[in-house]
Amino acid sequence: MSQVIVIGAGLSGLVAAIKSAEGGQQVTLISKGLGGLQLSQGTIDIHEQGLAGLESPAPHPYAAIGAENVLAGVKYLAKLLGPEFLVGDAKKNVYLPTAVGAIRPTALIPPSMAAGSVRDGAKWLIVGLRRLKDFNASLIAGNLSRLELPGGGSLSARALTIDVVAREGEVDSSALTFARAFDTPDFRQRLVAAIKPELQPGEAVGLPAILGVKQHDFWRELQASLGCEVFEIPLPPPSVPGMRLNEALTAKAKALGVRFVLGSYVSGFTAAGGKLVSVTVATTGAPQEFKADKFIYAPGGFESGALAMDSHYEITEKVFGLPLHGVAPVEELILPDYWDEQPVFKVGVSVDKQMRPLDAAGKPVYANLHAIGGIIGGAIRWKEKSGEGIALGSAWAATEGSENV
Amino acid sequence: MSSQGYSALGFAGHELARASLDHCVKCTICETQCPVLAVTPLFSGPKFVGPQAERYRHGLSVDHSLDYCSSCGTCTLVCPQGVKIAELNSQARAVMKAGHMPLRDKLISQTVVMGKLMTPFAPIANAALNVGPIRSLVQGVIGIHKKAPMPKANSRTFMGWWKKHTPAQPATKGKLIFFHGCAGGYFEVDTSIKSVEVLEHLGYEVVVPKQGCCGLAQQSNGLYHEASANVVKLAKELQAAGDVTIISSSGSCTGMLKHEAHEIMGVTDPALADVGARVRDIMEFLLELDEAGELPHDFQPIKMTVPYHAPCQLKGQGMGLPALEVLKLIPGLTVVESGAACCGIAGTYGLKKEKFDVAQAVGKPLFDMIKATNPDYAICDTETCRWQLRKGTGATVDHPIALIHRSLGLS
Ligand SMILES: Cc1cc2nc3c(=O)[nH]c(=O)nc-3n(C[C@H](O)[C@H](O)[C@H](O)COP(=O)(O)OP(=O)(O)OC[C@H]3O[C@@H](n4cnc5c(N)ncnc54)[C@H](O)[C@@H]3O)c2cc1C
Ligand code: SF4
Ligand code: SF4
Repeated sequence: MSQVIVIGAGLSGLVAAIKSAEGGQQVTLISKGLGGLQLSQGTIDIHEQGLAGLESPAPHPYAAIGAENVLAGVKYLAKLLGPEFLVGDAKKNVYLPTAVGAIRPTALIPPSMAAGSVRDGAKWLIVGLRRLKDFNASLIAGNLSRLELPGGGSLSARALTIDVVAREGEVDSSALTFARAFDTPDFRQRLVAAIKPELQPGEAVGLPAILGVKQHDFWRELQASLGCEVFEIPLPPPSVPGMRLNEALTAKAKALGVRFVLGSYVSGFTAAGGKLVSVTVATTGAPQEFKADKFIYAPGGFESGALAMDSHYEITEKVFGLPLHGVAPVEELILPDYWDEQPVFKVGVSVDKQMRPLDAAGKPVYANLHAIGGIIGGAIRWKEKSGEGIALGSAWAATEGSENV
Repeated sequence: MSSQGYSALGFAGHELARASLDHCVKCTICETQCPVLAVTPLFSGPKFVGPQAERYRHGLSVDHSLDYCSSCGTCTLVCPQGVKIAELNSQARAVMKAGHMPLRDKLISQTVVMGKLMTPFAPIANAALNVGPIRSLVQGVIGIHKKAPMPKANSRTFMGWWKKHTPAQPATKGKLIFFHGCAGGYFEVDTSIKSVEVLEHLGYEVVVPKQGCCGLAQQSNGLYHEASANVVKLAKELQAAGDVTIISSSGSCTGMLKHEAHEIMGVTDPALADVGARVRDIMEFLLELDEAGELPHDFQPIKMTVPYHAPCQLKGQGMGLPALEVLKLIPGLTVVESGAACCGIAGTYGLKKEKFDVAQAVGKPLFDMIKATNPDYAICDTETCRWQLRKGTGATVDHPIALIHRSLGLS
């Protein structure tokens, strides 16, 4: 029998599983599918307002998690993966270019993106690949050149589109297909040969984030061959930088002996005396009960089906029927203008300091059930750029401290 | 029963799997994990031929590259929204091929017939299958690639052994039904024998009813009518043997009984539902025993590092990798999980001449992993995958039960 069961394989679930296993616990991780890391940019967002955002008042998740736990969780991940995967300072945001030539704040970044941190006076050559439709170099360079940078000033970017084929017979290859091709020396040589003659002195080269999947330090080799700084710009999914993090964390968890049960969802539970006893897992053939001492629920939010709204606009948490915070009539949750703040995304569970979901009276629903990551309500994570900070801070808070062992 | 077989193709393309279609959020996670898409531009990928194309199908194919899907099920396994992508693809392919099925697809899906035919002539069959010109002829006439891994015919069948077999000790525990599957009956006989011996060693009374084919190979080749009839017949045979747990060491046939026949072909016969809920993969069963504290830990050390490949059809059962957990109980043994989605063979896919190169490319990283981890010995839970791995690496490839058998001092 496992001591700890983690439900969900997103950033929060993977980190909670690894940390529990490192603490010597027997851990089983149950997940319906892969988590959201591959849909992320491969960066660790904490808050668009930097440190000030960590002081957001309740009902923001940061109020329950606490700034020190967020920073501890982020630091834990950075140490776990090392500087080959993540660099930067959790207390200080940098601004990185996006695939439409805007800029966005984030805290920790893959080293392959570091040279793309915007600064006044930078000269960039944005290189697009003709057969990669999600990255339009002219659009990106044009938009970036028009920007006034956060600290003032501007940069100049120009576009170059080259046709380097990832695999013959394909006119529209995915970012992942390009990244797999980049893992081969032949592709890298062809890429360098196409860029080098066009490069002007003093320019740094911005490429779509395809610089290798298995071997992701080839960007250094590329810098050496081109004789200039090189950086990756993240793309819409499939996100290669997100995949690298996902694969690295999954490998760490497996190496620590975490048992993975992938492809089955948790459909129910049994409880006794105010504690969860087991969760029911909808394995094929017949459902099975998985018992544990402690349950960490990391199922994401609406986007992963953990929260659902029915045709009567009723919102429910699907596995445990947990009380939800932020529920209101639908007119107040979904506003007519797309650009309005959409309060529906703030719906989620409320938690105590140990990340245990609370009932209406403010008491933990089950003494041994913890909820982490996107299921916690009170923030529009994608808008304020706090998704990874919440995931890591809550994973840390749910696994740290003697009362949690 | 037979009416169900006839309606199976009509079922395809709607109902169960189709209901999951609208859950797709186009996140592309399935595309990143599809082992076929990774190695060939001939296939446009699970999301594209699955939830996307299904909307426009109305009974007709919108993308013939669908035929390149190997039905490995990886996409369904990883989809965070629960879309039954592989099932949709299998159904659509069956509809696409209905009426113009190549003779080859009909032949290689007749696993019982192949097994029965080959057993008495095993030495001759093996020799013939290893002769280049004969294989070229086979490729030319029926389209099985001349280098494709073929089963080694066995000179004894499992039932031949079973009839003469007496347990080494009297049973002290309850009764279990053993389901050997076609490959386990005719080709991978050793695995079936060792499974029975381990169960008997643990004190169980094992019964083996007369049993036919589960129809998996027919199903994956789109022959739903025959496959549905076979799986229901088998379910009834197993049901007749008693109301107890059914054990199998044939990882893919177990999946057919547990979910594939129902989810892909819409078989709703109560016998299948009953048997599907009672059948356990043998390593899954041992893990359940261990979790319940009922598995003695008297395992002898085996000093070895072994690569382990969990077959796609085993992973598709959504129970994790029980072999990995159970083998942790053997002192001295280090098991290294391959991490590969699929070995390429995917049942009968990799045998076909037009798919052979794709299947070899899919298997390549796995072959390399095995050669680097232990070039002589690997383990894997399903039969056709073992054939593919033996052919691709030259290593001896056993079912994980072989290590349990050895560690218990039974071999
Ligand atoms: C389109 C989009 C854009 C975003 N952009 C940003 C951004 O720019 N910056 C930012 O900071 N944040 C952003 N976010 C939010 C951020 O991605 C999430 O907050 C973060 O990924 C949450 O991770 P998680 O571990 O909580 O859950 P997830 O990554 O969602 O993982 C949930 C896991 O739980 C599993 N699961 C769910 N239910 C069950 C069940 N019943 N049984 C078993 N398993 C189950 C799923 O399969 C999945 O593996 C964005 C989110 C979306 C949807
Ligand atoms: S993984 Fe599932 S939701 Fe995502 S694109 Fe594939 S089918 Fe759609
Ligand atoms: S079943 Fe396998 S081969 Fe077919 S689309 Fe899904 S992952 Fe790809």
